[in-house]
Amino acid sequence: MHRRGREAIVAVDSLTGRPGRTDATRRRLLGSFVGAYVASLVPFAIAQPADDDSAAFSALSGILVGRSSLDTALGKRLRDALAADDPGFAKSTHDLLALIEQRRLDPLTLQSVLDGEKSPLATLPGRIVTAWYMGIVGDPEHARCLAFETALCNVVVADILEPPTYCHGAYASWTRKPT
Amino acid sequence: MAEPSSADFVVIGSGIIGALTARKLVLAGASVLILEAGPRVTRGELTARFRNSPRRGDWMSPYPPVPWAPHPIYLPKDNGYLVQAGPYPYAAEYIRQVGGTTWHWAAHAWRNVPNDFRIKTLYGVGVDWPIDYDDLEPWYQEAEEIMGVSGAPDTGSPRKKPFPMEPVAEPYAMRRIRERCASAYPVVTNTTARNSRTYDGRPACCGNNSCQPICPIDAQYHGGVAIASAEKAGAKLLTNANVYKLEHDAQGRITAAQYYDSDKRSHRVTGKTFIVAANGIESPRLLLLSASDKYPRGLANSSDMVGRNLMDHPSTSLTFDADEDMWLGRGPQSPSSINTLRDGAFRSEHAPYRLDFTNISRVNGAITALIAGGVYGPEIEKRLRYACARELNVKNVLEVLPDPEHRITLADEKDAMGIPKPQAHYAIDDYTRKGAERSKEDFRRIASLLGGTNLRFSKEGDYANNQHICGTLSFGSDPHKFVCDPWGRTHDHENLFCVGTGVLPTCGTCNSTENGLAIALRTASHILDQAGTRPAGTPAPSPGAGK
Repeated sequence: MHRRGREAIVAVDSLTGRPGRTDATRRRLLGSFVGAYVASLVPFAIAQPADDDSAAFSALSGILVGRSSLDTALGKRLRDALAADDPGFAKSTHDLLALIEQRRLDPLTLQSVLDGEKSPLATLPGRIVTAWYMGIVGDPEHARCLAFETALCNVVVADILEPPTYCHGAYASWTRKPT
Repeated sequence: MAEPSSADFVVIGSGIIGALTARKLVLAGASVLILEAGPRVTRGELTARFRNSPRRGDWMSPYPPVPWAPHPIYLPKDNGYLVQAGPYPYAAEYIRQVGGTTWHWAAHAWRNVPNDFRIKTLYGVGVDWPIDYDDLEPWYQEAEEIMGVSGAPDTGSPRKKPFPMEPVAEPYAMRRIRERCASAYPVVTNTTARNSRTYDGRPACCGNNSCQPICPIDAQYHGGVAIASAEKAGAKLLTNANVYKLEHDAQGRITAAQYYDSDKRSHRVTGKTFIVAANGIESPRLLLLSASDKYPRGLANSSDMVGRNLMDHPSTSLTFDADEDMWLGRGPQSPSSINTLRDGAFRSEHAPYRLDFTNISRVNGAITALIAGGVYGPEIEKRLRYACARELNVKNVLEVLPDPEHRITLADEKDAMGIPKPQAHYAIDDYTRKGAERSKEDFRRIASLLGGTNLRFSKEGDYANNQHICGTLSFGSDPHKFVCDPWGRTHDHENLFCVGTGVLPTCGTCNSTENGLAIALRTASHILDQAGTRPAGTPAPSPGAGK
């Protein structure tokens, strides 16, 4: 049985295969975070290209999807697609990151806080998590798929399940207890 | 090369039933021309479309309609093709492309149980079929041998010959469900047209878990395989040929079919015999569209029954979390069910039903729900894995009784080709609602047997549709009550036949394709018999009880 997807989660630039550069901006952003989840972001952040917007997107993505490493090339595609739909996307990303930092917001309660305050940032976490976890960007009538096998929803269960349309294995392999 | 414009048989619709009817006729030496409204699309294209779809839970997303042959689409918004007259919406889905709607099915290939043919006599509801189980048994077998069907031996439908292959291997989750429900319910492997071994050049299933919307390896039989076999046998196929009118002569014989091509140029083909195989909505629509001075209510409609008695299989369901890891999504999508509630004296009171367990991966539904619920951070992965491991779903497949007020008519609105759209008049009656209510007791018991928690019943009053369009061209002996005679020939026109699930006079509790196909093969054999060209070695159709 072949497996895909898991190898996509790498803390390297998947185009160059080399670790990304660090810079002062990322160190500043990351250094300001407090909380257990922040520490887990460091490997991903180290891999990011050097500009404020991408660093903010990377850091915010890591918080929202709860993973310490993410595919940098896919991340760029997702960010470009999200930004194409929303001219204010980069600013919103910075604003939400700052808000989380200032108020020590837990990602699990973030959405209810934003909804409760009728925040203009309330739709942003869902859009970013949908992009990473489902590989989909855009409102229903303009949605497009940017990832399938490498969407996190398929990656995080790849030890047990194949993405639909992919072969599970030899005939009857599905009769075995999943482990 | 000029396109063919005449044949012994003109078949309208290239779906699984039209295609296999055509194949049977052409194998007997007849010339057959098939007219298909939609385009050719390949299995590879469909697989790629699904993988690239932004709506993975919408299994129609790989099947967008072409402008010259629209079909109903509901997401991301309703395209308005199937007009809803109410009172209950009939959200039918079907596919107008070469091979038709079974590109997109779970390959359930059930036979009726014998009492399904006699529910009026036995239970005082619905109508009796004009034939009985034994009349149809050889044609069930023929359909099963063509499609490569297998299943459990004990589902209430007796057999004279074995299935052509062993049942498909049972997924681990279904084994656990079977074992844990055994004290109360026999859970059996479904009867499906899915290969458990290499069969007729197609491979065994390898568990892609995308039977709907597309089997990427043709391990399950579908209309694309059927039409390829018809063409290989010598049938001619015209694609993008949207038939909008049948012509007749003074004696009521059908003489020609008029169709639009994709540029709305009109063409005309002639034939000796016409077979309408355009599904349970498009077939009655065509007959109604073909109204003339002689037949102002449309063809085959002296009874005013064309389009009436619309039936399908509504479903309600229960989703819950089991107390052990199951991991739905390994193996085929729809492998197991409970069949002991398909028949019984209770049918005089409420609808019978099958109980179906899904094995569709929970990934897409679970992640959608988690994001909608604002679950972010490390918890999202943890909860997603839990849902994928533990979540189970069981649904009923409820019988609907024929009611002339439930029907397909022509709408005032027109489609992009300027042809009146179909309009659905539909409701869920008390018989079906009572069956749904009764099945809740089974749902609760099944959940209990599996240590279920977090029980989520489908919304009260909401019925999911199963796209088994039946009844709109019902066959029966009385020309005042039925569109077609017991052979599938229209009562009103000696050279006009209907094949497809619309011919079924009741819908029972099983997916309609195998019933529709078996009747169509019987119809084709009868046609050949009448013409003295029945192939050697094939059984003569029995005349039926003539009810």
